[in-house]
Amino acid sequence: MGSDRVTLKIPRPLYERLKRVIEGTGFRSVNEFVVHVLRDLVAETGDEASLTPEEIRVIRERLRKLGYL
Amino acid sequence: MNGFRVLILGLDCLDPGLVEAFLDDLPVLQELIKRGEFRRLRSVDPPITVPAWMCAFTGKDPGELGVYGFRNRADHSYEGFRISTSAAFRAPAIWDELGRMGLRSIVVGVPGTYPPKPVKGLLVSGFLTPSTETTYTFPPSLKRRIREIVGEYIIDVREFRTEDKARVIQEVHRMTERRFDFMATLLVEEEWDFAVVVEMGPDRIHHALWAHHDPTHPKHDPQSPYRDAIRDYYRYLDTRIGKLLEAVPSRTQIVVMSDHGIQPMYGGIAVNEWLIREGYLALKEYPTEPVPIRDLIERELVDWSRTVAWGEGGYYGRIFLNVRGREPQGTVSPDEYNVVRRELARKLEALTDEEGKPLGTRVLFPEEIYREVSGIPPDLIVYFGDLRWRSIGTVGRGVIHWHENDTGPDDANHAPHGVFIASPALAGRDLSLPEVHGLILGCFR
Repeated sequence: MGSDRVTLKIPRPLYERLKRVIEGTGFRSVNEFVVHVLRDLVAETGDEASLTPEEIRVIRERLRKLGYL
Repeated sequence: MNGFRVLILGLDCLDPGLVEAFLDDLPVLQELIKRGEFRRLRSVDPPITVPAWMCAFTGKDPGELGVYGFRNRADHSYEGFRISTSAAFRAPAIWDELGRMGLRSIVVGVPGTYPPKPVKGLLVSGFLTPSTETTYTFPPSLKRRIREIVGEYIIDVREFRTEDKARVIQEVHRMTERRFDFMATLLVEEEWDFAVVVEMGPDRIHHALWAHHDPTHPKHDPQSPYRDAIRDYYRYLDTRIGKLLEAVPSRTQIVVMSDHGIQPMYGGIAVNEWLIREGYLALKEYPTEPVPIRDLIERELVDWSRTVAWGEGGYYGRIFLNVRGREPQGTVSPDEYNVVRRELARKLEALTDEEGKPLGTRVLFPEEIYREVSGIPPDLIVYFGDLRWRSIGTVGRGVIHWHENDTGPDDANHAPHGVFIASPALAGRDLSLPEVHGLILGCFR
């Protein structure tokens, strides 16, 4: 208990495929690769779903032009 | 589920009256209706794209969602407005619930889904996505595939409030073509149980070309070369729907629906000019040129110590009271809140046009129309001329009735009924937008 890591289960065929994908690359294990890819995905998807100030400016301008404001 | 699927073709603003009027020219919709049903779909209040579509897909009304428009008050400050992104919609949507049942969805173009949240399947966010430069798909890799299939994907037309009607018409057609092409490819190449696509085209074409189409509109020109642009677009949509349905397996429940309809718009009411004239809103200095109320607030030109209420512009009016203990410099005591609100409603409903004829304005109170009131709603929801007039937030022209818009030409406003065509029949009666959610989920249970 108290470990800062958890175990995830993935289908074995997917695991085997990932093993082939990382062959000869800098990734030493499927585990390392999967963590890397998931971090990237989460960063792009964002759990905050927040907008940047520039995005807010663009959206406000669009809404105004379209007559919603 | 033996290959049973549901496909929703969402056509923003598709109007039941126009579908009826053009039906002879719409063989695909005719066939769907023949094999199914054509119902009137009561929109939510306000009948506006955001939150309307998400009300259909979550089964909640705007009050329950706490989303009253594209922008909502974030807090009780005067400046705090927040754009309604996907984060504003916390209730699970149809595709979230189907995902939990192990079913896959394709979700394309639903307004209120940017930034994209994960979905079991694929999601392309809709209107209000700032640009295709952003991560507007889930998974992010889908973006590359869209480019491969259709090249430049068009989220929305750049601007429809322009006198260059030929350009708007061309852009709307191109946008629809690309979205339908892309959707057809996904429907063939992907595994899915539920798919929905929302196309903004009908809304854009109605707003841009209403006066050209409607012989009763004061700005109608019978010689206009764009007289039939709306009819032509409905015909075009019908052929595109036909083509898309070729990509769909036979055991698919088809739904063609809209979030609201359309009606003529005759002008705008400068709500803040009216509030100033009636003594409810005080400025530190009256602007020398037209300025949006938001700018006046941000430039600290509103004298809050003498202000009872202020309003926001848009297709419908929102009026906020300046309540003591709630707003930073509130003047209305909580005891008087309802008295002031009713007084305002009575005066607004008595508003006339320039010739003294009643406008037929309707005023709604949030707690009377929603099952629950979350977030910060407007204190009064105002339909000027029952939505035949829009609300103008701008101050500085000294007049209340406007016939030129503060944001460019637009001669139509939203009507409270949309379209619900299902093949085979699904509803059996007219229905309201939030009922769509239960109806669709029911197909899978």
